Amino acid sequence: MITFSRVSLIYPHSTTTVIEDLSFEISEGEMVLVMGHTGSGKSSLLRLINGLVPHHTGGILGGEIIVDGKSTRTTKPGELAGIVGIVGQNPLATFVTDIVEDELAFGMESLNFPPDVMRKRIEEALDQVGLVPLRQRSIATLSGGEQQRLAIASALVMHPKVLVLDEPTSALDPIASEEILAILHRLVHDLSVTVVLAEHRLERVIGYVDRILLIEGDGASSIGEPSEILKKTDLVPPIVRLSRALSLEEIGTSTREVRKLTEDIRRDLNDIPRPVFKAGELSLSLTDIVAKYGEKEALSSVTLELHSGEITALMGRNGAGKSSLIKCAVGLLSPASGSIVLGERQLDEIAQKERSRLIGYIPQEPGDLLYLSSVAEECARADRDNAIAHGATLASLHQMLPTISPQSHPRDLSEGERLSLVLAIVLAGSPQILILDEPTRGLDYEAKNRLMALLHRRARIDGTSVLMATHDVEIVAEVADRTIFLAEGEKVADGPTLDVLLASPAFAPQVAKVMSPRPWLTVGDVLRSQGSLEE
Amino acid sequence: MKPFHPLTFWALFSCLAVGVIAADSATLALLAVGGAALIVKFYKQDGPWSASFHWSLIAGLVLISIRALTGILIGVPRIGEVLFTLPRINLPSWLPGIRIGGPVTWERLSSSLHEGLIIATVIALFGAANSVTSPHKLLRVLPSRIYQVGVTLTIATSVFPQLISSIARIRQAQFLRSGSKPRISRIAIPLLEESLARAVHLAEAMEARGFGQSKSQSRYRPINYSLRDLAWIASGALVAVGMVAL
Repeated sequence: MITFSRVSLIYPHSTTTVIEDLSFEISEGEMVLVMGHTGSGKSSLLRLINGLVPHHTGGILGGEIIVDGKSTRTTKPGELAGIVGIVGQNPLATFVTDIVEDELAFGMESLNFPPDVMRKRIEEALDQVGLVPLRQRSIATLSGGEQQRLAIASALVMHPKVLVLDEPTSALDPIASEEILAILHRLVHDLSVTVVLAEHRLERVIGYVDRILLIEGDGASSIGEPSEILKKTDLVPPIVRLSRALSLEEIGTSTREVRKLTEDIRRDLNDIPRPVFKAGELSLSLTDIVAKYGEKEALSSVTLELHSGEITALMGRNGAGKSSLIKCAVGLLSPASGSIVLGERQLDEIAQKERSRLIGYIPQEPGDLLYLSSVAEECARADRDNAIAHGATLASLHQMLPTISPQSHPRDLSEGERLSLVLAIVLAGSPQILILDEPTRGLDYEAKNRLMALLHRRARIDGTSVLMATHDVEIVAEVADRTIFLAEGEKVADGPTLDVLLASPAFAPQVAKVMSPRPWLTVGDVLRSQGSLEE
Repeated sequence: MKPFHPLTFWALFSCLAVGVIAADSATLALLAVGGAALIVKFYKQDGPWSASFHWSLIAGLVLISIRALTGILIGVPRIGEVLFTLPRINLPSWLPGIRIGGPVTWERLSSSLHEGLIIATVIALFGAANSVTSPHKLLRVLPSRIYQVGVTLTIATSVFPQLISSIARIRQAQFLRSGSKPRISRIAIPLLEESLARAVHLAEAMEARGFGQSKSQSRYRPINYSLRDLAWIASGALVAVGMVAL
């Protein structure tokens, strides 16, 4: 279905190739995962499949790409509209109309389909993704998962042979992401659609894919069965780290396989529980917070307490009220009732300048904070803003990420590098409280490990209170001491991470699923019980 | 409730706008804005567009104040009751008839305000039309010939409401970083980068979905006029005729 032969790609005004001498073949009805570090050219590779690269972006393409018998060199993306459907990273940015049904009709209207064909196909597509009840809804009112399903449906109405998805689950909570993957799985198995997707959170997709295409930073690449490819890379999901750590003879990629291989471990090991962290004093407390947007109640009587040295995770489905709670905590949203106390004072009695010094905030789009033209300038600005020694911010950034060049433009950084830069800037003021909104979106495992190490160091050594809203159960399992669960604006769980995550099957991390019913969340927990982990 | 034809409210508000301009009366203009506010209240859509009436009112107020200010500062002298006198700046002799400063009369001030009000009303009426009809829907009933223009407009109109939400988001983030209201340059750079990326993404998505491939486009569920639409338009036209006759 898709053949790449000796493909190389170089963008205009660039001196390095994005893709070098890449050859592979994907056959009909296969589901293939493209993986690699951030900035390794995954997105470019996906967009090569329907010719958006280089027809739309410019650049020089070497070699030949054949999709369903057509060369993308001579065929324009629009002519491939009936063959390749593409779903971008941020579906909301790619919608053309504002009603669900109209959006589905858009592609077919452009190709002049007769109305009766359109009606039939729209019906089919709505059924396939389960959006029938929402057909007349305004797109702006859909949740993240529904928007992602709509984007898939608007590709499906064209009856494509290939479906290309760029990080389809990165913005979604675990339940919505399961739904998306189940839909893709059905398309592959029932309709023999070929699916090619890129994703960083391998733990979410690894059980579904037939093969993996691994792109390494140096231009090398390989394609093969998941168990084979995962043997030779560092970018592996927790389940593979578990197989490695326990030196199992095989690398399992599904919970069922690894459960079979670890029966004796679950039976024989004694529990050595996680060392309980004794949190310091209360640093920020939100009591009985009620927040409203117009008539709609976003938070109903939620209480949240942050202690120094403790990392707290805030979880829940899209729209559960996580962002509203965070906005209250940083003072962007004034609650309709309830009190917010920082140290010994009410938050609204503290001047904004001082508040910004006490509470560090990392927004969902870290780039929002950056406006200068180089990393060095941003760091120097942070030194001046916080009246600290010149070069201190840059030094702490280098400690986090030695490879970053001070001259590079913030726009050209990868997601992980940008997050490190923003963290260095925000932490330059040594805030007592650090609040992060979805920090792991778009990060590869390496960048995530860096983030986890930093948060751990900040909390334990400097005594910072950390609050992190996230959908990423794996990072919660690794670093959070306490987890709070919101649903429909109410707090439904608040306790040690172990108890909260084990109580909810949908939000259980991979290791917990494998090791159930034993109370282990991470590879580290298992190793500790085995006695081979040194603290 | 069955949706209105997208042209209905545009026709209604266009009639009102013509009426307001023709009647040139402050009372009627204010009544028209009041009527528009009622219609917006009842028939508002739930898209990002519904706020455009609100924004058009703000734009109108800004416009009235600018008009009043220039009316006071610059203009042709008018006879009447002098309210106060501003220092006068002498212009070179080759610019006769124009002056800056000088005595401000009640007549001059009120006529400036009146003009400002009429323009602001027209803006508010179009804002109201936007609030009750999504421009995307409007584009869909335009003839195919201008569909290409329509799509350019689609990109512009989709990016605009997203722009407003991005401004708010970036401003909040910058505000929390520095603890003071951020300067425009701090917002402009991240905003510009994001909007450019957005426009490119949307254009890419449209191309990937076959836009522009076929010379003629078919229409899924063509939209027809109903009696109710005609009733609204007719009443709008009647009001306009009444205003013109006055």
